[in-house]
Amino acid sequence: MGAHISIPMYQRAVPQRYRLIGQRCLKCGRVNFPPKAVCKYCLTGSEFENVQLSGRGTIYSYTIIAGGGAPPEFAEDARCKGSYPVVLVELEEGPRIIAQLVNPPGEGISIGMPVEAVFRRIYEEEGVIRYGFKFRLV
Amino acid sequence: MEGVAIIGAGQTRYGDFPGKGVKELFAEAYLEALKSVDHGLDPQTIQAAYIGCLSAGSGFQLGQLAPLLMGHVGLPHVNAVRVENACASGGFALYTAACAVASGKFDLVVAAGVEKMRDVSSSKGRYWLGVSGDTEYERLAGSTFAGIYALMAARYMHEYGLKREHLSMVAVKNHRNAVANPKAQFRREITLEQAMNGVPVAHPFNVWDCSPTTDGAAVVLLCNAKIARQFTSKPVYLKGFGAASDYLAIHDRNTVTSLAATRRAAAEAYKQAGIGPSDIDFAEVHDCFTIAEILAYGDLGFCEVGRAHYLLENGDTQLDGRLPVNASGGLKAKGHPIGATGCGMACEIFKQLRDEAMEPSRQIKNARYALSHNVGGSGGTAAVFIYQRGDES
Repeated sequence: MGAHISIPMYQRAVPQRYRLIGQRCLKCGRVNFPPKAVCKYCLTGSEFENVQLSGRGTIYSYTIIAGGGAPPEFAEDARCKGSYPVVLVELEEGPRIIAQLVNPPGEGISIGMPVEAVFRRIYEEEGVIRYGFKFRLV
Repeated sequence: MEGVAIIGAGQTRYGDFPGKGVKELFAEAYLEALKSVDHGLDPQTIQAAYIGCLSAGSGFQLGQLAPLLMGHVGLPHVNAVRVENACASGGFALYTAACAVASGKFDLVVAAGVEKMRDVSSSKGRYWLGVSGDTEYERLAGSTFAGIYALMAARYMHEYGLKREHLSMVAVKNHRNAVANPKAQFRREITLEQAMNGVPVAHPFNVWDCSPTTDGAAVVLLCNAKIARQFTSKPVYLKGFGAASDYLAIHDRNTVTSLAATRRAAAEAYKQAGIGPSDIDFAEVHDCFTIAEILAYGDLGFCEVGRAHYLLENGDTQLDGRLPVNASGGLKAKGHPIGATGCGMACEIFKQLRDEAMEPSRQIKNARYALSHNVGGSGGTAAVFIYQRGDES
């Protein structure tokens, strides 16, 4: 039993998952990602303009999900790879986002490493492959 | 605002009970709580019940669980409601019950929690826990709750020099404390070497850094402090209670080495009680993962944020230290039946502050104030309570 993200729900977040579309608050100028109804920085602005994030950033923290510890929808992935890293990335525009790290280096991951977003297959549910962003070391 | 007193508390042993469902677990805790009221209590005078539960056996009875449980114990007509905030469901049930009494609306209420986690496969269990975090982003990164707390641990290590060994010291301490607790799931010690070399779960965590899946229930009986002495000469007063929220997702928070929900809930509770962290004699804190206990030390004011590992090195939070933490064994070794946990902590403190810790070796002596701390998920919610013993003149 996997996390159930319905097809329409996934569809609604396609601008974020495919193109990293964030929102710049017209009041304080800071960038929210994922989008909010009210800016998470000034807590008052509710009007935004869309901005495409560069996808460049640095590793803020990381973990390595072990084969046996993966959620059910990623269990097969974990079986193939043995384990996979998940990183919290601080993007150069400010927001932090969480995603998997592809092609992890043999010598280990460390906080502060520069990364960039890449478009990848995330998982499959209801017969539909869900695509989105992961990161790789620059 | 009216004063709030605890006059009775009961809980099942925590563990794996294939012969008992949510109804049986709840009834066992409820009947023990009723029996613990020194001068007796007529159950028909109970006015309301707030019952914490995440999933009642992964969706077995998501809707209207509270009337199902109350009907099972002969109180079908009580105002009963289920309270849900993931792992803090029990804490928020207790908080809601305390507010109901403090408001003057009710004089006698039940705060309870129950969870039946061992009926389902581990993958279904992980599904239910996983969807209590941020499903859209955290979960779709392939992370779990262990993974989210692991991100906090890695960052804490980076910022403050915490070592892998410090994480394991939490697990070793809490397992040692559970040995003498008849209510605990794992009543056995582990060595530091064992704790540092378990099966990997989510780096830097291994299996010994993680709380288990657990069946269990806990029930607390609260009344208006004015009438507490009708029921017992040894009430325990709830002097302060606080609760707060934070962004659900870790990527939305300013910091990941401190939980803002805990800090805010603690500030509210300390203010109401009129005391500070240095007045606390012992505490039950939310150690769902070893790093969570370390975060709690800073967020509850037991030390500065970032210096928690020195408390562990000094042995300050051991059973014989200056501020024992998780004398029960904590979530790690006492067990973590999600919805029950917050009320189970109150049961432990009720017993300790009445000198009824069952095994003399685990009784904390001369304690006046205690604190409990219950966190929802990775810190999306938190509740903090301050208790005062009531048998003093």
